[in-house]
Amino acid sequence: MNSGIFFWLLLKGSLLSTGGFGNLPLLHQELLDRHWATERDFAESLTLGQVTPGPNGLWVISLGYLVDGWRGSLLALLAITLPPLLVLLLYRFYRCIQGHAAVDGFMRGLSLAVIGTFLIAMLHLFRGVGVTPQSLLILAGSLLLGSVRRLPVILLLGVAAVTGIVWK
Amino acid sequence: MPLKFLRAWLLVGCQSFGGGVATLALLHRMAVEQEEWLSEEEFTRDWALSQAAPGINLLALTILIGHRVAGANGILLSLVGLLLPTTAITVVLTASYAHIRHSPVVEAALKGILPATVGLGLLTSWQMIRPLLKESHAEGRGSGAFSLLLLAGCALLSFLRFPVVYILLFAAVLGAFYRWKVQPRKGTTGESPS
Repeated sequence: MNSGIFFWLLLKGSLLSTGGFGNLPLLHQELLDRHWATERDFAESLTLGQVTPGPNGLWVISLGYLVDGWRGSLLALLAITLPPLLVLLLYRFYRCIQGHAAVDGFMRGLSLAVIGTFLIAMLHLFRGVGVTPQSLLILAGSLLLGSVRRLPVILLLGVAAVTGIVWK
Repeated sequence: MPLKFLRAWLLVGCQSFGGGVATLALLHRMAVEQEEWLSEEEFTRDWALSQAAPGINLLALTILIGHRVAGANGILLSLVGLLLPTTAITVVLTASYAHIRHSPVVEAALKGILPATVGLGLLTSWQMIRPLLKESHAEGRGSGAFSLLLLAGCALLSFLRFPVVYILLFAAVLGAFYRWKVQPRKGTTGESPS
């Protein structure tokens, strides 16, 4: 495992994303292909990211730790802090690009692609967890509780944890 | 002043659970209503710009507001305030978790937690898809169909294990081309602040 390449992948993921989880599909593919991370590492760091305070995008700091310890989390922090600085450039050129159709279209195309690839990453993640009647039921339950009841995330994950322990 | 500024960002960082709308509301209340660092219009415009910037939107907004208040120092202070405690908590939690991740109880709990995390991920995707599709549908049937096709095509390519980088870049360029050249003009839409 090469820290330089790891950092480059983290940075690339962040540069080509438009929000907190946008870097997931790229990292998921690249790190799994290199056997630097497992499906479980991804699923666990996503969960940890939901539980801790701060922007959702901090999930990648957990991933960095699971892949490469303290150094990995530091690289991840750096990789998510640098790209948003480009907003200062946008601020400078605001008047030139504001409302330009090509810019709007670029952003929308990128967002759609992020979501499309994200869905496939979720599919892989779920297969990594194991497709069983139990896991399918918990998935359906979390979708239901998450959309209908608007439960706090931590509570929802707590219920899921207890379900996992009790229901063997 | 610097200390108070730093403290305000510390508070935002530690209170922002789950990201998204809740954090934005928190930040708005602090920056516009309480501290009056910037006006309502400036906040709206900064948020629109932040959404167009790469990476975490909340960090871009933090950078812009820090810049407005105190230039480079403001950026540094606001980023440190937002990120230092939250990152520290995340790393410490992950490190302690790494010690117990193979214990039987944790393994059992994960059997429940991991499918639920996937469920939450799907919900997040749905929340992101909806406004995009609504917006493009409002522009006409062609634009709506184009967006749906782009979404499905990217999912398919990714399923077939095409490199994600190229899928993202390709879709972005295609999106730009479509909006600019193909779709007939109907006035400006999108996140232009009002």
